[in-house]
Amino acid sequence: MALSLTINGEVFASRRDPMTPLIDVLREDLALTGAKAVCREGFCGACMVLIDGRPAVSCLTPIALAEGRDIRTIEGLGRDGEPTPLQQALEAQDVVQCGMCFPGMVVTLTAFLAAEPGATRDEIKRALVGNICRCTGYERIIDAALVCAAGARD
Amino acid sequence: MRNARFVCMPRSVEEAVAAVVEGGANPLAGATWILRAPLRGEALAEGYAVLGGAEDLCAVEIGEAGIRIGAAVTHAALSVALVGVEGFVGLAQAASEAANPAVREVATVGGNLCAAGFAASDLAPALIAAGAEVEIHSAAGVERQSVEAFLAARATRPPGWLMTRIFAPCSARLSAHARLPLRQAGDYPVAILSLSIERRADGAIASARVAVGSVEPVARRWPGLEQALEGQTLDPDAAAEWARARLGDFEGRDGVEAPGWYRTQVLPGLARAAFRSLRAQV
Ligand SMILES: Cc1cc2nc3c(=O)[nH]c(=O)nc-3n(C[C@H](O)[C@H](O)[C@H](O)COP(=O)(O)OP(=O)(O)OC[C@H]3O[C@@H](n4cnc5c(N)ncnc54)[C@H](O)[C@@H]3O)c2cc1C
Ligand code: FES
Ligand code: FES
Repeated sequence: MALSLTINGEVFASRRDPMTPLIDVLREDLALTGAKAVCREGFCGACMVLIDGRPAVSCLTPIALAEGRDIRTIEGLGRDGEPTPLQQALEAQDVVQCGMCFPGMVVTLTAFLAAEPGATRDEIKRALVGNICRCTGYERIIDAALVCAAGARD
Repeated sequence: MRNARFVCMPRSVEEAVAAVVEGGANPLAGATWILRAPLRGEALAEGYAVLGGAEDLCAVEIGEAGIRIGAAVTHAALSVALVGVEGFVGLAQAASEAANPAVREVATVGGNLCAAGFAASDLAPALIAAGAEVEIHSAAGVERQSVEAFLAARATRPPGWLMTRIFAPCSARLSAHARLPLRQAGDYPVAILSLSIERRADGAIASARVAVGSVEPVARRWPGLEQALEGQTLDPDAAAEWARARLGDFEGRDGVEAPGWYRTQVLPGLARAAFRSLRAQV
């Protein structure tokens, strides 16, 4: 039996084993390669997507648990090819290095800043506990998130 | 004959019990342990019953006598439900500090207690310190046992059982949860110390329940420290010393994150941190 997955507003039928990690369907079947399968353990956050608006590690989400829910990947965040204000802030502040962690960082921060537009530096750090970056040292990512949050408040 | 894996979606506790006890399905809660089976060299099961669709497994009820936690309640939902609930500061700390935000959104209380071979559970010592009991359904019927007894027998329980609820008595006890991850947060704690105390009218400790997690393969109480604390004041440095004098009560497990000796050596520091948290609540 096929499972019905709603990804970035489009409905897909998947005939995969219901215990297949969502990340594999995204990358291998739908060519949505923004989310990365790095640790497959829930530790690094590189595979983060939004499920019903909340950050979820797609490496530990069997598609059976994603059926009928609103799945949004990094590819589905911008509008009409325009980067989001957060993506623009990250680019403007020249934060990105190798970029491996960034789709996951953006997904986590998008949901977090929407819920907590007045977040402090410490709160942003706590929100990013499940997103690991090997390159940047984090501080500039948080600077950009704070700039973005301040922009949204003004 | 089934030729493909099956996943069923029970809508009530009764349906979930039937699927697991009679239908041969394995409970599937947040899946954060199950989907890592390949990394542990384990195979996935042939069939699963998704617990999250059974509303009564996902509810936290707070009554006069105690709290009742559905086994499929997530860490995130538990920490929200416990805000301001007297006597459960330690359990709330455990639910809100374990793992990382995305994992806390999906990983459940039942999954945390039932994952066979998982030594670093935060909720296990916190629930032992809270004096909690679990309800288990199996072919033998329904049984209720302490969290500590459940954990001690977990590895030998034959398959085909479902944890449905966790009960913790309400009391005027103070509680705290101290954990040591190697990073500041996000990784498994190498050691955990959870405790709850009842105080006498003069403020001294009338009785203490202390539980240690992640040090040995299974979380358990620390009777030696519990006895030493009776009649004492809330002195963090003294608590650390009493803990240090009893480190021989544990045989730390060696693991990739830390050797066994290290896990025991950090217990005095955790006792001090837990007592500081208790003092801040007075
Ligand atoms: C990156 C990461 C970091 C983590 N850090 C921590 C941490 O610091 N502290 C901590 O405590 N935990 C931590 N965890 C969570 C922990 O390791 C387990 O993954 C989690 O608690 C399992 O819960 P689950 O609901 O996802 O269970 P599942 O994966 O769905 O199930 C786990 C096992 O329990 C069984 N099961 C589930 N529910 C029931 C039930 N009601 N009755 C009978 N059997 C049942 C399943 O069949 C399975 O065998 C972390 C997890 C990850 C991925
Ligand atoms: S790949 Fe999913 S958390 Fe690392
Ligand atoms: S930029 Fe390289 S991992 Fe974060």
